[in-house]
This record gives sequence, structure tokens and C-alpha cells, in this order.
Amino acid sequence: MGNIIINQIKKSFHLNEVLKGIDVEIPDGSFTILLGPSGCGKSTLLRIISGLEEPTSGKLFINEEDVTFEEPKDRNIAMVFQNYALYPHMTVYKNIEYGLKIKKVPKQEREEIIQNVLKMVELIEHVDKRPAQLSGGQRQRVALARAIVKRPYAFLMDEPLSNLDAKLRNQMRQELIELHQQLETTFLYVTHDQVEAMSMGSHIIIMNQGEVMQQGTPKEIYTNPANLFVAQFIGSPPTNIIEFEDMYLGIRPEDIGIVNTNQIESDVNISGKILTTEQLGGETIYRVKTHIGNLNVRIQSCWDEINEDVDVRFSFDKLMVFNKEGNRVVKNDNMMRIIKKLKNEKELVYS
Amino acid sequence: MIRQKKFLSVIQHLLLIIMCIIAIFPLYWMINSSFKNDSEIFTASFIPLKPTIANYVYAFSSMPIIRMMFNSFSIAILMTALQLITSLLAGYALVRWKFRGRSFIYTVFSLSWLIPFQAIMIPNYVLINKLGLNEQILGVVLPFAVSTFAILSLYQNFKAFPVALVEAARLDGESDFGILLRVILPNIKSTVASLGILLFINGWNEYLWPTLVTRQLQDEPIQIGLKSFVNSDTNMWGSLMAATTISCLPILIIYLVLQKQVVNSFVRFGIK
Repeated sequence: MGNIIINQIKKSFHLNEVLKGIDVEIPDGSFTILLGPSGCGKSTLLRIISGLEEPTSGKLFINEEDVTFEEPKDRNIAMVFQNYALYPHMTVYKNIEYGLKIKKVPKQEREEIIQNVLKMVELIEHVDKRPAQLSGGQRQRVALARAIVKRPYAFLMDEPLSNLDAKLRNQMRQELIELHQQLETTFLYVTHDQVEAMSMGSHIIIMNQGEVMQQGTPKEIYTNPANLFVAQFIGSPPTNIIEFEDMYLGIRPEDIGIVNTNQIESDVNISGKILTTEQLGGETIYRVKTHIGNLNVRIQSCWDEINEDVDVRFSFDKLMVFNKEGNRVVKNDNMMRIIKKLKNEKELVYS
Repeated sequence: MIRQKKFLSVIQHLLLIIMCIIAIFPLYWMINSSFKNDSEIFTASFIPLKPTIANYVYAFSSMPIIRMMFNSFSIAILMTALQLITSLLAGYALVRWKFRGRSFIYTVFSLSWLIPFQAIMIPNYVLINKLGLNEQILGVVLPFAVSTFAILSLYQNFKAFPVALVEAARLDGESDFGILLRVILPNIKSTVASLGILLFINGWNEYLWPTLVTRQLQDEPIQIGLKSFVNSDTNMWGSLMAATTISCLPILIIYLVLQKQVVNSFVRFGIK
């Protein structure tokens, strides 16, 4: 068990500042996701926590202990690598045993621990195989088993599912969630995939360009994005952003409805024309051209065609308002008055 | 079309056959001559008309051949072992450790490869002499304990080795030496073996330096002993050929047994 506290961590490679003062706390026992586009510094942060990289400045605490300059092996953490990093010349059993052997755990105890973990990850019949003889999913499980036997304070995972195909990825996602519940240990999981983040994380830290953009539960992040970046990064398709009178308005595609013309009133009712459709089976994604710009709309399946005239509608309380700098602001009465102009399409110039 | 291809193939094979003959002929002639008697040795007969082992008997009686072969072996094995050990350690440090002056050291290594041995032969000799290692196997081997060629070859290999494996081992608590020995080495075994074969052949064929350091036949490698059959007074061609055949045997056996690996190592390190 252990929480991880990251205190003003900065990291530069030559003149390139990759981390610009990161301040986060990863709660003990949480399934925390480090989420961000590639190159945002999330993997570097993970490597600093693991000890494979040293920060340029700042402090790192694991389980209340300052480990900023400790060797990786003295931090009691385990890491699962993107490409598994299994030792190719060792059998599954030897791979899992290796770390324990170095720690000089007695043979009998080793065997016990490994047998238990093998059961947990369902690899018993594969113990004598080499990594090359295993499927991607099985390799992933060996990597997990190798981490589990160390009984670490925290598991660090660097995009561990990105090498698997879609179906296996879904399955492994479930397995990881179950594993986390079983182990009750801190998981710190790096990914650029927001679906992975939303579905697995109990806590999400969103990073961009070496800075933390927002952290919170998936619900907080989805319903209350702190800035334009988060609003657009979470959700698929991304939040619609409308530039309007010195501010940005955000509305999620799933908060927009589509009606054929002349139906019930809503807060905002704008006429438009369907540009493209994406049928997902249960749901449909439309791109609709309106006078406030092209909007992404995600609704329960309905089979409208391209070029059809439709009304898009949404309510004011679903609108998110951001200031010019892109930061979320609370809607006040003055803004509401301005926003209400949206309702009356005649006051706006059709673009 | 097919005819043309066939013709081309015949030409190619003919050329290859000629090249093979050119390559193998000296070897054949050496063995052939070693069984000829003194009167026949200057004839062009392709098989000895009166085969004799007198040359071999003479070679063995006039020189401690077994002892000298053993010397050659010891020298080659020791050189190979030392060069592998030093180059593994140096290659690992150069690739995996980040320290000031790393690229400078790498450059110095690369440049030292360009210095011909003849240029540093005298200083080396003086040094070995002062250390009192003259006339000893250690004196023959020590200046060759480090091979720049081996370091640079392994450097490339370590560079290509997946970093994640090394990092996984570090997280498992493995030391640098342990990573080299138990993680990297088992995975580049065949490369190291190939390199070892090359280094062994180099060591076996070492001539100039052992001539300088050793003085007595029983301390010398076989290659030096060979020249004693040819001097200003007499030319014992038959015995020379016999002794040379014997001295070639170990290398020939290596070639035959490890044919695939030997070819592989030449290809891998781009040497002919």
C-alpha cells in the first residue's frame, strides 16, 4: 500500500522542458490514470516515479518516504512495460521468479508466491514456455505476474494494452479492473486512450505539454472539464466548441438532440443540414452544418440521411463556458443574457 | 529466355568453381607436398608417387611441435577470453552508463584502431621487458588483452539491445554486472560466440609479436617454429609443409565443426 506524492517535479532534456512543475497526489489504493496526448510528458513522469529517470528538480514521495534519489530497486514499486519486456531466454516461471531471486527470497517461499500468482493470472499450464511461445495476452499476464509477486507499494503501467488487438484489449481491461480490486494496491496507469482512462480509472490526471490540466474522478472530468483542452480531449467525438462574443461555449455531442423541423421547443433550437453520418449501430454520429459552425451530434440511432434539413437543440445548463484563455468559468447572469442570443438565430449572421 | 538463364547459371557456377580451386589449391598443395620425398618435392605431380611420412617424423623430431601447438592454443584462448571480457565490460559501460567524456572515450577507441601494431610494437616491448614478462605467455597475451574491434562490435550490439529489458532488470533489483551477465549475455550468445571465433583465429595466427617476445622454441607458438625449416643454409620444404599442415589442423577442424558459425561470424562482422 502506498500513496505517491509528486512535488514540483520538473524535467528537462537539454533545453527541452518536458515536465514543467508537476504537483499531484496519487491516492493510496486508487486506480489512477495518467492521460494525455503523446509527447505530453506522462511517460517521463512515470519513469521518474519508477526511478529509471531522475527529475531535474522537485521531490517524490512514495508511502510518505522521500525517494527522489533512491535507486529503482529501493522504491518497492513494480512496472509493466508497453512491450512487456519479458526476458526472452527465460521460461515464464523464471521470468516471474527473477526479481524474487535477486531479493533472496527463500526457494520454498518463492514457489508458494509464484504458484498463487500463476493461479491469479491463469498461466499455470504455461510455466515452462518461453515468452516467444505465448500470445500477446499471455505475455501481458506474465508481465503482470512478474509485477505482482514483488508485492509493491504501487504498480506502474506504461500503456500496457496498446500492443493488443481491440477484442483482447477490452478483455484485459476487465481483468485489470478485477486485479486492482483483488490486490487493493495503487495502480498508476499511463495511456493516451481516453476510453481506457474513463473505463478503468478511479482517478484521472490529464496532462498536456508537461503540465497537469486537471485531475479528478472520471465523472468530475467528464461533467466538469476545467478547460478547453480537457473538454475536447475527453469524449468522442470531441466537445463542440463555439467561439462566441469573447468566450468559448462547449457542448458535448451527446447533449445535442436532433429533431426534424417544427417540433418541440428547447432552450436552443438551430436549424441545420446534415453533412456526414457515422452509423455505429446503437448510436449515430452526425456532423451538422449550422450558422454557429459545424456541430458533432451523437444520438441514439436514427436513420436520417445526408443533406436532410434538421433542427439541432440543446439546453443551456449543458453549455460549458470558457473564457478567452480557455479556462472554465461559472455561468453568470450577464453571460446567460449573451448566450440566450444563440436562441434567436436571426440575431446571428449565418456563416 | 530459359536458355539464356541456364547459360548464365553455368557461367556463374564455372566462375565460382574456379574461385574455389584458387582458394583451395594452396591448401591441397601443402598437404600433397608434405607427403612427397625430397626428390619429388619439386615435381608438379598432383599426388605423391611414393608417399612418405618421413617429413612428419623429421618435423616432430626436430621441433617440440606438440608443445608449440599447446603454446599457440594457450595464447589464442587467453587472448580470446581476455578480449571478450574487456570488450563486454567496456561496451556495456559505453552504452549503458551516462558519464562525462563518454563520447570522447569512444572516439579514442575508434581512432586507436587506426594505429598499426608496428607503430606501438617497440614501446610495448620495452614495457613488457620492464615488467619482466619476457619469454612468458602472459607477455605475449597482455598487449592483446583489449581489442578495439571487439569493443566496437559489441558496442553496436549493446546499442541495439532492447532498453526495456535492461530497465526491467534494474527494477527487479539487478546490478549492472548482473544485467550484463544474466540478461544481456544470454540473449547475444551467438553474437559473442561469432566474435569469439574471429578473435580465436586472430590469436592463433599472431606472428610478429610472439617472435619479439619469445626466444626459445618451447615458449613459442607453432607459427614461429615453422620458419626454422627455411633458413639461409637449408630449405626443408617437405618438413615445412608437414609442420604447416599440423599447425593448420586445429583451425581446419574448427572450420569443419563450426562451419555455419564461422561463416556467420564473418558475415556478421563484415570481414573476409
